[in-house]
Amino acid sequence: MTVLGRRAVLGGLAAAAGSGALPRIGVARSEDRPSIAIAVQKIANTNTLDVLREQSNVGERIFFSSLWESLIGRDWSGDLRTVPGLATRWRRLDDRTIEFALRPGVRFHNGDELTSEDVAFTFGRERMFGDTVPDTGETLRVNERPTTYLAGKLPPPEVPAVARRAFPALVSVEVVDRYTVRFVNATPDITLEGRIGRYGGEIASQRGFREAGSYLEWARNPITTGPYRVAAYAPDRHLILEAHDAYWGGRPPLKRLRFVEVPEAPARIDGLLSGEYDFACDIPPDQIAGIERDPAFEVQGGPVRNHRILVFDKTHPVLADPRIRRALTHAIDRDAIVAALWAGRTSVPKGLQWPHYGDLYIADWSVPAYDPALARNLVREAGYRGEPIPYRLLPNYYTNQVDTAQLLVEMWRQVGLNVEIHMKENTQQVMERSADRALRDWSNSALFNDPVSSLVAQHGPNGQQQQIGEYANGEFNRLCLELERSTDQSRRRSIFHRLLTIAEREDPAYTVLHQNATFTAKRKAIRWRASPAFAMDFRSGNCDARA
Amino acid sequence: MIRFLAPRLARAALTILLVVTFAFVGLRLSGDPALLIMGDDAPPDAVAAFRASWGLDAPLWQQYVTYGAAVARGDLGLSMRDGRPAVALVTERVPATLALTLPALALKLVLGLSAGIAAALYRRRFVDRVVTTLAVLGFAVPSFVLGLILVLVFAVELRWLPSGGHGTWRHAVLPVLTLGLGGAAAFARLTRSAMLDVLGQPYIRAARARGLPWGRIICCHALPNAAIPLVTLGGFSVGSLLAGSVLVESVFSWPGVGRLLVMSVASRDLAVVQGILLLTATTMVTANLIVDLLYGLLDPRLRTGAATR
Repeated sequence: MTVLGRRAVLGGLAAAAGSGALPRIGVARSEDRPSIAIAVQKIANTNTLDVLREQSNVGERIFFSSLWESLIGRDWSGDLRTVPGLATRWRRLDDRTIEFALRPGVRFHNGDELTSEDVAFTFGRERMFGDTVPDTGETLRVNERPTTYLAGKLPPPEVPAVARRAFPALVSVEVVDRYTVRFVNATPDITLEGRIGRYGGEIASQRGFREAGSYLEWARNPITTGPYRVAAYAPDRHLILEAHDAYWGGRPPLKRLRFVEVPEAPARIDGLLSGEYDFACDIPPDQIAGIERDPAFEVQGGPVRNHRILVFDKTHPVLADPRIRRALTHAIDRDAIVAALWAGRTSVPKGLQWPHYGDLYIADWSVPAYDPALARNLVREAGYRGEPIPYRLLPNYYTNQVDTAQLLVEMWRQVGLNVEIHMKENTQQVMERSADRALRDWSNSALFNDPVSSLVAQHGPNGQQQQIGEYANGEFNRLCLELERSTDQSRRRSIFHRLLTIAEREDPAYTVLHQNATFTAKRKAIRWRASPAFAMDFRSGNCDARA
Repeated sequence: MIRFLAPRLARAALTILLVVTFAFVGLRLSGDPALLIMGDDAPPDAVAAFRASWGLDAPLWQQYVTYGAAVARGDLGLSMRDGRPAVALVTERVPATLALTLPALALKLVLGLSAGIAAALYRRRFVDRVVTTLAVLGFAVPSFVLGLILVLVFAVELRWLPSGGHGTWRHAVLPVLTLGLGGAAAFARLTRSAMLDVLGQPYIRAARARGLPWGRIICCHALPNAAIPLVTLGGFSVGSLLAGSVLVESVFSWPGVGRLLVMSVASRDLAVVQGILLLTATTMVTANLIVDLLYGLLDPRLRTGAATR
C-alpha cells in the first residue's frame, strides 16, 4: 500500500522548483561514431521492453534489430526472408523435433556467452510459460520442476498467455550440449521453425533475468544479444540504446540511438526540420511532399507486412446473406483509395497472404475485383431493402482510417448499400457483441512465413474473429485444423487456396483493402535503408551516419 | 468564521466525492482495462486472469467500496500498466507540469495585469486598441494552434529554441509562452473591464479631486476594488496548475501530468486516471476555497453579507 504523504507532496513541489535546472540527457557525439535521435509516436504501449508483453508495431520498431534477437533471424533490410540468427543451422530430427546449433562466441550485454542454458531458460516456465500447459495436456518438461518464481519475478498474466499462443504445443527445450538445443513439440508442426523465429521467441540472458531486482526492472532493461544495449529508459519519454561493441555481427555504426516519444505528427516533423531529430517516424502520407521540398530531407518507407482489412459480422441480419458481403467487397475501388489517400505509395496485395510464405504463396490470387455492376446485381438478388448496416470506427487508430471509411461508405452507396458510420472510443466498444455490430476495421500481420500465422491465427476457430462470434464456417474450420497439422506442403497449398476462396469469395469473413504502409522522414545525409516492416535496422551494413 | 467556512468545506468534499465517483463509474463502463492493456486477441482465460488479479471481476459497487476504503487510507492503488503505485507515477510527473504551469501563471499575471491596466488608463487610444486586439486574438486562438505557430517560427525557421522535449530551460520556453500568452489575454481583457468600471466610480473622482498622486490612486484605490473578478480568474488558473496543460504537453512532448492522463485514459489505467482526477479536483476545490476566503478579505461586505442587503 502506498500512502500519499506530506513528504511526497513536499518532495514533488521542491523538485518542481528545481526541474528547470535538470541536466539534459547527454547524447554526446562520439569521436568516431555519431549518435542519432529518432522521434517516434510511441516507444512502447506497455512501458516495458519485454517482447512477450510489448507485442506491437511500435515495439517491433525499437526491438528489431537493435535489441532482441532470436535463433532464426530475419533479413530486416532485405525481403524479410529467414536467415541464421543466434543459431547457425538447424535440422529436423522428426516432425516434432528440431535441433539447433548455436552460434559460438555470441555475447550478451553483460558479457556472458550465449549457451543452450539461456535458450532453455528463455523457453522455460519462469520466463515464458508460467503454469500454462501445451495443448496436449502435458506440462512443460523443462527442468522437470514446478514453476517457482524468484521474489518479484512473477511476470504479468499476459506474458504466459501470449507465449502459449505463440508456441501452443511446445513441450520442452532440451539442452544437448553447450551449443546444441532441441525443441520438442507435442504434435507434428511444420510451422515450428517459423514460430521459433517469430516476435516473442527472442533469447534473453538467464543471469540477466535472475540478477534483476524485479520483473519490471528486468523488463525495462533486458539483457540480450542485440547490437545495442539499454542505457536509459524513461517510459513515455525516451529510450537510449548504446552500442554493444562485442556484438557478434560487427561493431555497431552508431554510438547511441535516442528514441524520443513525440505523440503529435506535426511536432515530429517540426523537430526533424529544426534539427532536433535525425529521423521522424510515422509520417502521414499527405506530409511527404512538404518534407521533401527541403533537399536536406527525404522520406523512406512504404508497404509493410501488415494488411488493412474490413471484417464482417456474419451474425448481423443483413450480412447473414453472403451476397451482401460479396457486394461489399466488389463495390470497393481499392486502387482509388491507394491513389487518393496514400499518394500511390502503398499497394493492393493478393489477398491475406505475403510473398514470404514461399511455396505457399498463391501468386495468381487477387482480392475481389472492383465491379459495381456485379455488386448491384448481388444486392438486388439478396432482396436488400436499404436496411442500415453499421460500420464501427475508431478515430484514426489506423492511418487514414476515417477518410478511408468515408470513401468506402460512398462507394457502397453507389451500389445501393446503406452503411452508417458509428464512431467508437476503443477496440472493446468496436468488438462488443450487440445488434449494431456488422462491419469493423482491422489489420493482420504474418508473424512468420506461413498462412497459419495469419489466416488461421486471426480468422480460424481460435482466432479473434470466431472467438468474438463474428464468423464460423464448418469447412473453413476443418481445413484450418488440417493446415496446422499437415506436413505435406502440396496438400497444404491446396488447403490454403480453398481457405482463401471461402474466406474472401464464397462466404466472406473479411476483405483486404490495401497493404499498410509506414513512412520515415530522415536527414538525407544519413545513409540508411528502411525495412519493409516497422523494424528499423541500425546495424553495420544498413546505416552510415558519418556524413 | 465557522459559519462562513463550514458550508464551503462541505461543498468541496462533495465535489471531490462526485468527481471520483463519476470517474470510477465512467471509466469502467466505457472500456475494459483487461482488453485494452492485453490486446484485442488475448485469450479469454488470460483476460479472466487479468480481471481477477486486479479485482475487476467483482460487482461494481463492491469495487467502489473497496476503492473508497483504500482512498480513505491514502492508498490510490497500483498502475495496471506499470505495476507501480499510482501515487508515485503521478507525483513524479507533477514537477514537470509545475515547471510549465507556474512560470506560465506568472506570465499571465504580469503580462495580463499590466496590459489590462494600460488599456484601461489609455482607453480608446492606440495602446488600448493594440492591447484589445491582441487580447482577442490570444483568447480566440486555441493553445495547440498557438504552440504550432511558435514552433514554426522559433524552432523551424529561426532555430532559436527546441521544438519539443524536456531537459533544459530552453525546452520550456515555447510551452510556457503558449500557456502564458493565451491566459494573459484573458487576464488583460478582464483587468481592462474591471479597471474601467472602477475608474468611473465617485471615490476615484474624489481621490483625484483631493490631489492624490495618480499612481497611488491606481494601486491603493482602483486595483483592490477591481480585484474580485481577477481573483476569481486567478483562482481558476491556480486550480488548473496540474491539469491545465494537457494539450500543450502533447504538442511539446512534455512528460507531465497531462500526458500521463491522456495515456492512462486511453489504456484505462484506472488507478492512475483516478489518482490524477482526485489530485486535480482537490487542487481546484482548494483554490476555490482560497478564492472564497480572499473575497472576504478584499471586500468585508461579503464576510458580513452586507453587500447582498
